Amino acid sequence: MASEIETGTKYIPEMSEKEVAELGGSIKASSLKVIEDNIQRMKKAWKNRPEAMEYFDEISNLFGRREKEIREQKEAGKKVIGYSCIFAPIELILAADAIPVRIGSGWYDTAKLGDRIMPVEICPVIRSTVGAKMVSLSPFLELSDAIVMPLTCDGRTKLSEMLSDFKPIWHMNPPRVKDDPHTAGMWKEEIQVVKDRIEKLTGNKISRQKLREAIETMQQATKAFRRLQDLRKGDPVINGRDAMLVNQTILWDDVKRWTQKVNELCDELEKRVEQKEYSSYPDSARVMITGTPMLWPDSWKVPNLIEESNPQGIVVVDEQCSGDRILYDPVGVDEWTMSDMLTAIGERYLMACTCPCFTSEHGNEDRINWIIDRIKEYKVDGVIYYVVRGCILYAMEYARIKRVLDKMNVPVYYLDTEYTREDVGQMKTRVEAFLEMLEARMDI
Amino acid sequence: MLSAGIDMGTQRVKVVILKDKEIIARSQQFSGFEPTKAAEQSLQEALQNAKLSRQDIQHITATGAGVNMAPFADSTISMMGADAKAGAYFFPSARTVIDIGAEDARAVKCDENGVMVDFIVNARCAAGAGTFIEAMARALEVELEDMGSLSLKAEKASPINASCVIFAESDVVSLIHKEEPKSEIARAIFDAMAERVSSMVLRLGINKDIILVGGVAKDIGFVDSLKRRLGTEILIPEEPLYAGAVGAALIAARKAARRR
Repeated sequence: MASEIETGTKYIPEMSEKEVAELGGSIKASSLKVIEDNIQRMKKAWKNRPEAMEYFDEISNLFGRREKEIREQKEAGKKVIGYSCIFAPIELILAADAIPVRIGSGWYDTAKLGDRIMPVEICPVIRSTVGAKMVSLSPFLELSDAIVMPLTCDGRTKLSEMLSDFKPIWHMNPPRVKDDPHTAGMWKEEIQVVKDRIEKLTGNKISRQKLREAIETMQQATKAFRRLQDLRKGDPVINGRDAMLVNQTILWDDVKRWTQKVNELCDELEKRVEQKEYSSYPDSARVMITGTPMLWPDSWKVPNLIEESNPQGIVVVDEQCSGDRILYDPVGVDEWTMSDMLTAIGERYLMACTCPCFTSEHGNEDRINWIIDRIKEYKVDGVIYYVVRGCILYAMEYARIKRVLDKMNVPVYYLDTEYTREDVGQMKTRVEAFLEMLEARMDI
Repeated sequence: MLSAGIDMGTQRVKVVILKDKEIIARSQQFSGFEPTKAAEQSLQEALQNAKLSRQDIQHITATGAGVNMAPFADSTISMMGADAKAGAYFFPSARTVIDIGAEDARAVKCDENGVMVDFIVNARCAAGAGTFIEAMARALEVELEDMGSLSLKAEKASPINASCVIFAESDVVSLIHKEEPKSEIARAIFDAMAERVSSMVLRLGINKDIILVGGVAKDIGFVDSLKRRLGTEILIPEEPLYAGAVGAALIAARKAARRR
């Protein structure tokens, strides 16, 4: 039967060029202010902030140096491949000489635009990403030649349809039951399909040698990331917000340069460990954040609150796909054959992932175990469980994780919020009470 | 040893003065547009009642939603921390303190020393808080003070939606149109509010004894509904409105003692 739908019926209504320019311009201006404000606050909190951080400040400008670089490389013939979720196999994009960029939005103002298309109950990360597209705000989304969209949660599944109004979308269909016997094979096929698409778009064949180099490039990035993480296990030589920014910039930065800059930062910080030159009071409450991704720049409201609170907390580790999860696991290869490398990539993205969109015979036990291990390693005093309204999977897993943490006698606080600046006052009250409680426990 | 606690609430400012942990003066004012001024007046009044001057007080601790507007605090404490302290002060057996103020509701789990060990807040929506009763009393054209006794006369309650004040109000209007007795509507309002508060408390876990404080604890209609929902006794101190200020004053006393 022929489709009744008129070909080309879109989700997103046409907006006049004038409105796009006006709204886009004013949101960009306010975003630049938020970025600058976040950096000033980080500088103020960390008196002897090292020069090596300046590089990451520069890259944190979403409309600055990195946008220009990508634009120039694109003009010179390179392809840009966006991705909505860290499930996209970056190694394959790098191996085809393309530029990977994450397109998820951390802009609060554009969530309001998304409200024109969908109800406010929908996850604001999705509403905001659609809103950003409506006014062409995100340089990385605009520059993308195609977007890899792993259909991890419901929001991202429909987001892919909405963005297909504008860009070629490559769906990936991750199996959601990790221990199902078909899972590994299904997922490897998905990876193979994306590999073919990347090769076709770029015109570059992903050779065995090229893929090995890309895997090794990412392994080096993981190594630098882990070096920085090790520095967060002891008394603080870097504040949580700063480390979170460093870790997140890899989502749009050049991977090799990022790795080098992180290593330079670690050289400096390792000296500071010896000199006991701390970024915050060493006896501040040590906080883990887990939950919804916290995307730059507006979502920095939460780490800002934690680290500017009285009593102060310091974020020592997070369990978020906007942070420590991005690079935590390297691709582990036994034999450098094409088939083995693709299997290893599949395992790294699927099996190691702690995202609540997965389940298994024992539920999402990987996430619980990950949280327990990190609490011990990083000597975490308390956990902030961060959820934005509409982030159903994280909200639902809370009850079980809370019970596990109660048994471990680790306090956890469910901090629910929205893509808005208006609830900062209420959140401050709650965060301060939580930190006060952690401090009182530490006194005993 | 003299200490004072000041609770900068969204609707009222409350002040308590303690002498060696005994309450010797209380006062309260509407916060209004100038909470700082209200706080100053309230402190003056409490000092006069106790025949003291400002210099006699060794330490003042502030708490409440408007804590940053407290003009003369030596230190601050979160509302939840103050609730825990006050709950254990009024009733040493307190393990859960529910505080319902004008704009928000919260529940705090505490240990035998009055140290908070967990808490939960409903600050998103006024449907679980005092202003909800006020809005509903207006809709019923009943004095706020009479809502409680009116509801106790009800034989049954009609279900209403309390996920939001606005929706609840339209539910109440349709009950009025159905000519339901006022008493039953009043009971429905308290039941709906108690439902919200109890589901919040149940998420935290029931740990006895349960103490109820905050301005709404004086409302016999709400207390009756909450007891039924939670299926347990609830202890209420004599002046529940002042619990936050008492908790803050206790913290102030400890800080002053430490300073010596």
